[in-house]
Amino acid sequence: MNVLEKLQTIDRRVLYLLIAAVIAVPLLQRPSRHPRIVFAEVRNAYETLQKVPKNKIVIISCVWGPGTRAENEPQTRAIIRHLLMQGTRFVILSWDQLGSQLTYEDASEISSELGKRYGTDWVHLGYNPGPMYAIIRGLGKSFQEVFKVDRFGKKLRSIPATRNVRDYRDIGAVVEITPSGTVASWIAYFNQPFDVPLIFCPTAVMSAEAYPYLDSGQLDGMLNGVIGAAQYETLIGMENERTYAAAAAWALSCAHIFIIVLIVLGNLGYALSKRSTRRGGGKTIG
Amino acid sequence: MAEWLAAHTKTLSLWCGALATFAIYSVLYAENRFYRLFEHIFIGLSAGFGVYVTWSQVLAPKWWQPMVHKGQWQWIFAAVLGSMFYFMYSKKHAWVSRVIFGLFMGLSAGLMFRDFYEIYFPQMGASMKPIVGNSISWWDSVNAIVFYAILISSMAYFFFSFEHDSPVVQKTAAAGRWFLMIGFGAIFGATVMGRMTLFIGRLNFLVNDWWPTARVAWQYRFFQTAVVLAVIAVLVQGFRALKARSKTFPPSA
Repeated sequence: MNVLEKLQTIDRRVLYLLIAAVIAVPLLQRPSRHPRIVFAEVRNAYETLQKVPKNKIVIISCVWGPGTRAENEPQTRAIIRHLLMQGTRFVILSWDQLGSQLTYEDASEISSELGKRYGTDWVHLGYNPGPMYAIIRGLGKSFQEVFKVDRFGKKLRSIPATRNVRDYRDIGAVVEITPSGTVASWIAYFNQPFDVPLIFCPTAVMSAEAYPYLDSGQLDGMLNGVIGAAQYETLIGMENERTYAAAAAWALSCAHIFIIVLIVLGNLGYALSKRSTRRGGGKTIG
Repeated sequence: MAEWLAAHTKTLSLWCGALATFAIYSVLYAENRFYRLFEHIFIGLSAGFGVYVTWSQVLAPKWWQPMVHKGQWQWIFAAVLGSMFYFMYSKKHAWVSRVIFGLFMGLSAGLMFRDFYEIYFPQMGASMKPIVGNSISWWDSVNAIVFYAILISSMAYFFFSFEHDSPVVQKTAAAGRWFLMIGFGAIFGATVMGRMTLFIGRLNFLVNDWWPTARVAWQYRFFQTAVVLAVIAVLVQGFRALKARSKTFPPSA
């Protein structure tokens, strides 16, 4: 058995270890350099949030939990940081029990880092069990009647950031951060009827299916997985900071190159072993 | 003890996280009890936390307190309607649950109409792209032509109302199948990217969060002993697993 033939029979556990090693290098080194190329959909998302008037609020709807934290958390953090930096008020709405705690911790950390205050600059509405369509439709008509209290049970009418929010007219944009196909509910019950800008932040698995929505103008921007988050960080002036999103973007590139090399080598070995079988009448592998 | 726990919460949570990560990823080597134990711990913890969050952030402030403390007695009807679901466990009274299930099915069917026209009608409209015009550049025209070629050939693949006898329809449908395959390939590539990112997230936790605390802990003899014992336990377990495997699958001659 020659080297190329052996490449077809590598133990999967060896491959797992090699991938872990390839990924670990950028994570250990933590390069500060962010991607200089920014996709049009990421730039559109940034510009949409830049245009939100100061008297309006942004809704950050988080459907994610610990399972997709690696992808959705960098997106959430980048959006929160941008809004706090430009002084746009926002509310976080969580549809996942564990994600509710994680998003609150993220916003608290960034908020204290930038000297912003809970209640004045942002509010967390806690966990909402759904049904999603009913809540989305309702908040467009009466924000205060649907949510009533924040995650600590305090009335939204008594909180400065949400005191004057009546309905869709006071909502400047919606950011949907999700690992599932929930964006359709926002499109059907909020974005289309009330004409409020909608930004979609899916996991990479979901992103390919979202392009028809971008093409039709139903979405105003998109952050595609952790790469989208790294590109967004570039736009908000973090291009020279050592962040997880930047390191993950490099690690992802390394992993992709490694996988492509493995695919090429595996196929090359397969083709050569087939050729030698035809010539010498030897035994095929697998 | 309580003070010590309070002072070391961060370190303990990092160690618990690392232990859980190693346990869950141990399944990549082989199915084992360590993995199963932590899988059950995770399910139990998230279920318990879910009950707490549902009560503290939803039921208590939005249902119980208005009903009991603020005189909004009408909320009792929510409990009546909600409890109807549980009659599905009774053979005799299952019809009660069918009433509420029927209500929700009717609601969902009605909502689908709205979903359809709000989601797909704008996409149909957006598919009618102009090929020529005053504000259309030559590059936009090329893009629009490629778009129409892919749209028509992909739709031709799904024309099942008539036989694909004509060579034109056959070739167009075959091209459509190729375009669909390329689309599925893109989705699969994105899936690999997503799964890889989840792994990167865990590895990032181990490398940048847990490893620095592990290095600090290495200076304590107690910790060194614990690590050595853990490594021996893993090696023994691995050796026993390999032995059991060689008995089940004896090496072929």
